[in-house]
Amino acid sequence: MSAEYDVEFVEREDREARFLVRGVTPGFANGIRRAMVADVPTMAIDTVRFVENSSVMFDEQLALRLGLVPLTTPPVGEFGEDETVTLSIDVEGPATAYSGDLVSSDDLVEPADENVPIIELKDGQRLEAEADAVIDRGKDHAKHQGGVAVGYRHLQRVEVEGDLPEFEDEESRIIRGVIEDDGELVSTSEFDHDLSNRYPGKEVRIEDVPNAFVFHVETDGSFPIEELVTRAADTIAERATELEDAVQL
Amino acid sequence: MSYKCSRCKRDVQLDEYGGVRCPYCGHRVLLKERSRDVKEVDVQ
Repeated sequence: MSAEYDVEFVEREDREARFLVRGVTPGFANGIRRAMVADVPTMAIDTVRFVENSSVMFDEQLALRLGLVPLTTPPVGEFGEDETVTLSIDVEGPATAYSGDLVSSDDLVEPADENVPIIELKDGQRLEAEADAVIDRGKDHAKHQGGVAVGYRHLQRVEVEGDLPEFEDEESRIIRGVIEDDGELVSTSEFDHDLSNRYPGKEVRIEDVPNAFVFHVETDGSFPIEELVTRAADTIAERATELEDAVQL
Repeated sequence: MSYKCSRCKRDVQLDEYGGVRCPYCGHRVLLKERSRDVKEVDVQ
């Protein structure tokens, strides 16, 4: 495997990105994907103390909903595995309790979104609770998944082989992902995922570019995309050194 | 044990002799109120 990877962004936003990585094996690409889903530690609520809950839902159901609220995760090393951050919520009906109503004791750990509904409270109903958030990995509970909707596809190369026969009907040719056309990266959404829109009247050949993968990554808001990918790579490196140390008796 | 009468909405104390009946209105349907303790729940 080559020592250097070539990374190129196709789309880049705060929480969502599409990027091309060249020079990785399929196994390593999948390793990165799995690390992003299951091995990057994120904060999430783990225990809830209910002071008052006169809403229509059980404490356990509300606790689960609170647990699934994405929280921002502090930089690496800021929090230990057994440290907790307390968040509190106090909403009185008639109102809807949103994730934005959670008040954190630490500025580094706050709800990533303010608009996640927790429960609708009617007149006279009240929800008052205190919750402890801990840091853990996605493989232990889905609420700790930092990367959501993480996947990859082969980069596809499109070559024009010639013209279609004169009287042949044009058939649509649907592909998804990113294509490479003379070194230029084009998302298939630009031509409605149909190659016959981009190359009308042409006969084209598609092939996967070996060892080039286009990742599509989305985070739950715990941290930006760059953080997620680098932390995922770090966890792989950590486990690799752990294995190396273990076999060198 | 403290309950609440479902008809007259008053707080009712029950002992072992009186049977299940509201002493104010005679209604036999009583509701158990949630205790005031703080309840700790694990997220699972």
